[in-house]
Amino acid sequence: MDKFEWYSRNGEQGSGTLSEAQLRNSDPDFDTWLGQQLQFSEPYLDDDGFCDGVMERLPAPTRRSDRRVTRTQYGAVVLASAIVAWQFPLDEVLAEAARQSISLYSLLGLGVLSSVAAMFGGIVAARR
Amino acid sequence: MDLNDGELIRRIVEDGDQRAYAQLVRRYQSQLRFSLRNLCDGDQALADDMAQEAFIKAYKALPAFRGDARFSTWLYRIAYNLVMSYRRKNAPEVDQEAVDRAQAQETVEEAQQLGMARDLDAALQELSEPQRQAIHLCMQRGFSHEEAASIMKLPLGTVKSHVNRARARLQTLLQAWREEVVSG
Repeated sequence: MDKFEWYSRNGEQGSGTLSEAQLRNSDPDFDTWLGQQLQFSEPYLDDDGFCDGVMERLPAPTRRSDRRVTRTQYGAVVLASAIVAWQFPLDEVLAEAARQSISLYSLLGLGVLSSVAAMFGGIVAARR
Repeated sequence: MDLNDGELIRRIVEDGDQRAYAQLVRRYQSQLRFSLRNLCDGDQALADDMAQEAFIKAYKALPAFRGDARFSTWLYRIAYNLVMSYRRKNAPEVDQEAVDRAQAQETVEEAQQLGMARDLDAALQELSEPQRQAIHLCMQRGFSHEEAASIMKLPLGTVKSHVNRARARLQTLLQAWREEVVSG
């Protein structure tokens, strides 16, 4: 017969009531022993597809990393544009435009449009 | 390489690294599923569903996790809330046949065949459910009384009382085993 059954039926505490003294009486050895027994009696549950099931149902990751990548891309495009603008022979173009009687406003408008198109294309290409 | 919970959480939140979360799931799945089986009266399928829900909910809420408590405490709190909420919505209608079938198929015979494990289980069944949960969290999982109180959503004093009463009751019920160990 299991020892538990005997104590459960015949033990002093068969009625289920405990005195205050018993409640206060903490036995560290018993605590350690009980902790060990509880852990010993616990099986390790194999993953058995559980983790995969969780991972499949997770939403797409929070895209903070993507936002960081996007900022980097914009930065690179701005930097490239600045280098192009720095190296661009604006004086010569303006002089040539004056010689050819091309309106300054139409030239500037064309330049701005070209820049916007180039930046947009660069960003789209970089994102891909 | 085994990274600690904090580092894994940082990678998940800042880099969206789902492999880091898989590592956390693998680390805690066995303990959480086992704990929830106790809480779901042995219904393994329900316990696993609840554990899965808890991991998913924890993942979604991870950016709001401030690290005031341990990740395991936080995860258990989510899981316990889910089970309690499920219980409130669904009257206790446990498919006992399914439970018995599942338990019969368990591969823990080695532990259960041992008289000690069987008696320990029987002794635990003598406790009230809150006492059993308090003992499980504090003595089996190693949570502090404060952590157990936050998981069970009970006042600290109540949890301490549950632990003390459960411990005293188990001490009486398992006295014979203790004496055997002490006397060698």
